[in-house]
Amino acid sequence: MATAASPYPASEQRPNVPSASVRLPAVADYEQVDREIIATLRPTLGWFALLATAILCLLIGISAWTYQIYSGLGVAGYNPPVMWGVYIITFVFWIGIGHAGTLISAILYLFRAGFRTSIYRCAEAMTVFAVMTAGLFPILHLGRPWKFFWLIPYPNWRLIWPQFKSPLVWDVFAILTYFTVSSTFLYIGLIPDIATMRDRETNPVRKAIYSALSLGWRNSDREWRHFTRAYLFLAAFSTPLVLSVHSVVSFDFAMALTPGWHATIFPPYFVAGAIFSGMGMVFTIIIPIRKFFKLQHYVTLNDLDAAAKMTLFTSLIVGLAYLTEFQIAWLSGNKYEQQYFWNRVFGQWAWAAWIMIICNMVLPMSLFSQKLRRNPSWLWILSLFINLGMWFERFVIVVPSLSHEFEPWQWTTYAPTWVDYSILLGSFGWFFMWFLLFCKQLPIMAISELKEVVPPKRKHPHPEEFEHSRDEGIAHPQVTGEHELPGGLGAAGGGTH
Amino acid sequence: MSEHKPAATQVKRREFLKVLGATTAAASAAACVPEETGKLIPYLVSPDQTVPGVSTYYATLCRECSASCGVIAETRDGRAIKLEGNPEHPLNKGALCARGQSALQGLYNPDRFRSPMIKSAGAWKAATWDEALTLLSQRLGEVRGGAAQSAVFLNQHESGSFPAFLDGWLASYGMRPHLSVDFEADTAAIEAHRRAYGMSWPRWNFADAKLIISFGADFLDGWGASVAHQLDFADARAKLASAPRFIYVGPRRSLTGLNADQWIASKPSGELAIANFLLGRGDANTASQTSGVPAATLQRLAQEFASAKPVLALAGGRGDNGLELATAVASLNGVRSAEGITAFDGIARQSDVLAAVERMRSGQVAAAFVRGANPAYALPKSARFAEAFAKVPFKVSFSMYPDETTELCDLVLPDLHTLESWGDAESTRGTVTLQQPAMDPVFAGTRATADVLIAVAKKDPATAARYPDAEYRTWLLRRLPGGGNPQTLGSELAKGFASGSTLARTIPAAAPAAASPAAAATGDLFLVTYPSATLGDGRGANKPWLQELPDPVTKVLWSSWAEIHPETAQRLGIERGDIVEVRNAFGAIRVPALIYLGVRPDTVAVPMGQGHSSPTQTSWYDGKDRAVQWGYGRYARAIGANALDLFPVRSNSGGGFVGSTTCAISKTGDHVTVVSTEGSARQHDRGIAQAISVNEIGAPVEREHEKPPGDAPHQFLPGLRSPVAADAQGELGSPTARDRGILQGMYKPDHASGMTRRRWAMTVDLARCTGCSACVTACYAENNIPTVGAPWQNGVVYAQHQPGFNITRGREMNWLRLERYYEGAEDGRFTEDFEARFVPMLCQHCGNAPCEPVCPVYATYHAPDGLNVQVYNRCVGTRYCSNNCPYKVRYFNWFGYGEPDRAQYAFPEPLNWQLNPDVTVRTKGVMEKCTFCVQRIREAEHRAASEQRTVAADEFTTACAAACPSRAITFGDAADATWSVNKFVEDERAYHVFEELNTYTAVVYLKKVNHPAAPAAQAPGAEARR
Amino acid sequence: MPGIIGAFSEIDSAVEAIEELRRTRFNELTVYTPTPRHEFEHALDAPPSRVRIFTLIGGLCGATFGYWIAVWASRYWPLVVGGKPIASWVPYTIFGFEVMVLIGSLSTVFALFALSRVPRLTMTVGYDARFSGGHFGVWVNTTSDRAKEAADLLRRHGAVEVRHEA
Repeated sequence: MATAASPYPASEQRPNVPSASVRLPAVADYEQVDREIIATLRPTLGWFALLATAILCLLIGISAWTYQIYSGLGVAGYNPPVMWGVYIITFVFWIGIGHAGTLISAILYLFRAGFRTSIYRCAEAMTVFAVMTAGLFPILHLGRPWKFFWLIPYPNWRLIWPQFKSPLVWDVFAILTYFTVSSTFLYIGLIPDIATMRDRETNPVRKAIYSALSLGWRNSDREWRHFTRAYLFLAAFSTPLVLSVHSVVSFDFAMALTPGWHATIFPPYFVAGAIFSGMGMVFTIIIPIRKFFKLQHYVTLNDLDAAAKMTLFTSLIVGLAYLTEFQIAWLSGNKYEQQYFWNRVFGQWAWAAWIMIICNMVLPMSLFSQKLRRNPSWLWILSLFINLGMWFERFVIVVPSLSHEFEPWQWTTYAPTWVDYSILLGSFGWFFMWFLLFCKQLPIMAISELKEVVPPKRKHPHPEEFEHSRDEGIAHPQVTGEHELPGGLGAAGGGTH
Repeated sequence: MSEHKPAATQVKRREFLKVLGATTAAASAAACVPEETGKLIPYLVSPDQTVPGVSTYYATLCRECSASCGVIAETRDGRAIKLEGNPEHPLNKGALCARGQSALQGLYNPDRFRSPMIKSAGAWKAATWDEALTLLSQRLGEVRGGAAQSAVFLNQHESGSFPAFLDGWLASYGMRPHLSVDFEADTAAIEAHRRAYGMSWPRWNFADAKLIISFGADFLDGWGASVAHQLDFADARAKLASAPRFIYVGPRRSLTGLNADQWIASKPSGELAIANFLLGRGDANTASQTSGVPAATLQRLAQEFASAKPVLALAGGRGDNGLELATAVASLNGVRSAEGITAFDGIARQSDVLAAVERMRSGQVAAAFVRGANPAYALPKSARFAEAFAKVPFKVSFSMYPDETTELCDLVLPDLHTLESWGDAESTRGTVTLQQPAMDPVFAGTRATADVLIAVAKKDPATAARYPDAEYRTWLLRRLPGGGNPQTLGSELAKGFASGSTLARTIPAAAPAAASPAAAATGDLFLVTYPSATLGDGRGANKPWLQELPDPVTKVLWSSWAEIHPETAQRLGIERGDIVEVRNAFGAIRVPALIYLGVRPDTVAVPMGQGHSSPTQTSWYDGKDRAVQWGYGRYARAIGANALDLFPVRSNSGGGFVGSTTCAISKTGDHVTVVSTEGSARQHDRGIAQAISVNEIGAPVEREHEKPPGDAPHQFLPGLRSPVAADAQGELGSPTARDRGILQGMYKPDHASGMTRRRWAMTVDLARCTGCSACVTACYAENNIPTVGAPWQNGVVYAQHQPGFNITRGREMNWLRLERYYEGAEDGRFTEDFEARFVPMLCQHCGNAPCEPVCPVYATYHAPDGLNVQVYNRCVGTRYCSNNCPYKVRYFNWFGYGEPDRAQYAFPEPLNWQLNPDVTVRTKGVMEKCTFCVQRIREAEHRAASEQRTVAADEFTTACAAACPSRAITFGDAADATWSVNKFVEDERAYHVFEELNTYTAVVYLKKVNHPAAPAAQAPGAEARR
Repeated sequence: MPGIIGAFSEIDSAVEAIEELRRTRFNELTVYTPTPRHEFEHALDAPPSRVRIFTLIGGLCGATFGYWIAVWASRYWPLVVGGKPIASWVPYTIFGFEVMVLIGSLSTVFALFALSRVPRLTMTVGYDARFSGGHFGVWVNTTSDRAKEAADLLRRHGAVEVRHEA
């Protein structure tokens, strides 16, 4: 059917399969799924090298923070009235990264978008670790970090409570909730897979650990009944949650008087930006994984294609938001806003603003081309630009506004110091350390959900299941035994038996 | 004064902080301090009249400049913690300038000598007083007889009895009278005043004038008795409609120049031609050629001069025709002033000092004594003072600080600070200002020079007989009016001054000095130098408050600079911050270029005051070194450059120093960020500093509803209807508020504390404010604000040891800052027609404060009496409040400025003795800001409560308002009509900054009033800008 | 609890076996499947999960608590900030929402665990590692007298292995 619909000459088949009806033609049966996914858990030398690098970066960050706690925040590049800098920027950056994970695992689950199946575990883990990273920064940027718990309404004998009108307290609630819910969601999804690994594991120690983690899960119909239901509700909760979290983060800015911050467009603008940046990070992570873990026939080009479309869509929203900001400033007749935006784009901060616009608006336009959407290498390079661009988006929001406020006498500039950069580096080290540890200890793809899209053995096979597989078997470049395909699976490429 | 010796010097700082804690608590109610803290108080036995935790006030005298204002020293537990002007003193009437405030940092300066020092074989070593005095008397014995006649005693000028006492002492050794030197004094002007008015310094009568013309007389930035001038000038200008117009003539627009309505940019020393032209000598064109001012401008000036009567004309005598100018201008002056400021009597002319230097050079001088004065720094380098001084076999310094001259001496006998010793001064004719110790000496090893002289004299039988008194005090009191009779003396000491006169010094009739020939300087540009408004001739440089106080004109601090006009800068391709070499035949200095509108394109201006140096120690203090910090101490050494290196040894016919020569400048290729607190010098139509023309006063304020949103509306609801008064609790407090009912606890309108009935507010009259910045330093002194610009305060962190580096990063802590905005001359072409507006900017204590709702921990909230409160202990340092403050008046503790073991420590022992016990020393990582001096508010309230009464109207005021020499700041309760602040709140000129943000600020500004030239003589574009 | 376990490699044979078993009134069945399949749901037509009740209650409690803590804490120590009401309910909606999501999710998870009896420490009789892999298991809970009948039935439907568990 896809072939029939294909606008291309038969010589170069480029089907555009509706992402809902995803199939994994190169995957024969359940055993193959177990075999290949569990195979990815074998640690390799490259993995150890990466882990070491990540930990090194983390140590650099930790030592810089220690030094900052001892000497005071002055060691960072703050230049009053630019009272927020790299730390808040990076905080928003990581929170944004987290959002794509929840979007893919929860929202796409509700929308039954099939291409989510193969990538959501990865994205969800990314979410949890990104939130763990982001959560550090509000503490890290405090003048007295050892007093951070004063922002939490913990019972104390003087009954002094936080100030609930402050967006920062909203942050505390939003982020703690987000972290709890997304990590629970991740773990619940993992339970059946851990059970699978428990059953495949031979090493008694690992088996014991997996048994404990799998909580004695045994795939009974009753468990599955409650499981699917609970999973649905969690997804239903996570969906508004993910939208609320970045809205609340955007309130940190939108609730202030500061020109360039005081805008009602911020919540949608931030949410779109967050998902956009998150998709960027998903590509950054999933593309090497599918290559080095030899999982191209699970994360198919169709999946990348569909994810790329979503990236393009969010990029367009973000671009629209940028333009709307300027338009509002222009039409408002508010000279503070006008002078600020002029200074942002054509003045002092033009360089940062244009990095942002090129990386987030211009380059993603390339995804209008299906050729590029189906080109993993390009997607990966683009994803790096998106990460860069989204960091600079937050830079452009935070720094230029504060450096060019109401009071001209206090207009100033800002330059981070080595402490800022070390801690930024450390945050990447922290994130990737967790991710690397995760991807070699637990299945990077949801085994039980993959099995949902793999046709089970039957006495009397269903014809349409053949159909699908065969079509795509022919259609999919990567199942016709071309370079991306790990050896040996080419035979199974037909996807039928 | 307590007779008990405090154990102060032994008390460790940490204990002292505990005392602060205890006394802070005690200060609230004048109660006794608990036993266990009592023992920490730095008395062995507490004197009867002092209550721990309650201040004692001593009326005494300020000697930071020659004017000798009366001050009140507030002491707490035996330590002076604050200086304020003596309200009853005829000279300064309660006001005190920044330099006066900083006397405390002279007193507690960490670089003061702890004991006498003797230089043997080129090396200094500490000595006991016995050794020192023995050495002194022995060497004095050697210079008896003819040689004695040649001895030179240079004493920092002071009026009163001591000069006479000193002459008497010198005479008893057969020495000639001393030279009373003041290197920043304008001796040429003094000479002219003496001839024209018969007094060395008239108290200019600004009030009676219709027009003020100043020919380079910077009477607001250190020329003569600035505080007195400012009081009178501001009062005159506050007459608004009938106020005198002010024209400033000179090559550089100084602070005084910026306060003028019109600037006539004459060449250096070109003012004389203009003065002569006004006198009818010579015509406009010749005058125009000599002065470099367009003839048309001079014509208009002449018209205005003729039409406006009376005219007050003043002249500064720092040009090479200083005396002639001052004399000519004296005859232009149509306003006579009866009262004279006698404090300037008897200042030696620079020519006399130079003559003495020459005698040293020729080796005729057997002994030299220096007290206070610092000729090695303050004389032009070309005078080669050090070389001449070295020829003197025996050199004694009585200096408190390790300055340049002292380092050249053989013996140091450290003097006591003014606040530790007895003395007197005759500031104005007929009043003797009494100088009494406010506390026991900070360092036991220092002694009053007068007492030292007596002690030495007593060692020698020949002179002993002439000194029956044990100490100078008894000698002095006997000579005071009333002969030191206890009854009168008591009241006089309490008042701070006595009427009458003390024995005046007999000044030898000075031979009229001949102008020394103009030495040939090289270069195509004029070079002018001027005493810094903050550092004076350099004696302020060792006080961190003054180093941290931005220059009122350029807003540069912790460095030197060269002012260059934009046109010249463009021509030479120089940009702000480029290190330029200013060079001429006499020397060269390297300073950052500062582009300044207010200097002639053919002129470069460099301030005095910086560039202290020491041959032995050339680098900056490293924050740890325990050795004596030569080069005038850690805060002064190796910072900036000394402009005097470029000046010839040259006196004008008034015997005065000539502050102008020629030079060439060139880029060195280096570039630095100028250490400045200035962001943008333009207010981009944001209505921060507003002004109206005098003609518009009384005209109805036009409504500006049609203005686009966000544009400053200029209407204002006066009085209690104004948000200022009604909104102690923001909108909730306003009578019409819907949910007022939910106000709970102390916010209940009927709460027992009655706080809701008050609304503390402040008005700032920009028509009075001259931008002198005294308020800024007063705030530093009152509120324990750390100075952050010292080179070593960032050294650890950035590995760049650089003065003011923290300030280039915007980390100055000035709770109250003085903004200076320019109007006009946007295109950078040269024009005399631009205006400067000064705005003291501090926490506005908004009714609806944007900073409050964003704080996650209630560290800042709104007090029922309208204060925007900052709770340091609760602050976690998210800094969100500062982000949301439109006025940007919140300051963050980036480092542990209050922690002694840190490089950033701002109060090295004993500077910490000055800390105000009523104010917390903030810790690292918390936000701070102006509190409206809440400690003073509460003290007044508690005093009233303990006396079963309510706080009376204008009973107290904030530190800034108390210091302000132009009386621009008024503080009070805007909800109580009896406080004078209400008078201004209702003024037609009143406005809020950023009123359109509905922050309902408690600080009300009164628009500046411009006096445009009369329509007939309208200069193009001179009409006042809105 | 004695019973018969039958392992199937084909899903449709397992389904047919189940239908047959239910027709012959073997009602205590447990199906082990590596992944949830609708075929089994239809074959067993079990009652809908009761997780939803927990979720609802948890969510409501959360929302209430979120609002309450914010309002109570603000009024407990009334301090005016920025001229805003002491307890401003509009921004407090955020707390209502966030805490609703938090408690709601956690109670959902609790329900999942409670209803499906996890965590359990011992592996149940009849479970086989293959059931998390490629095979489907049908556990018939029966007494010894009908055991033979059930075993035959399972074999007839093509169970690759049938085992008696006691």
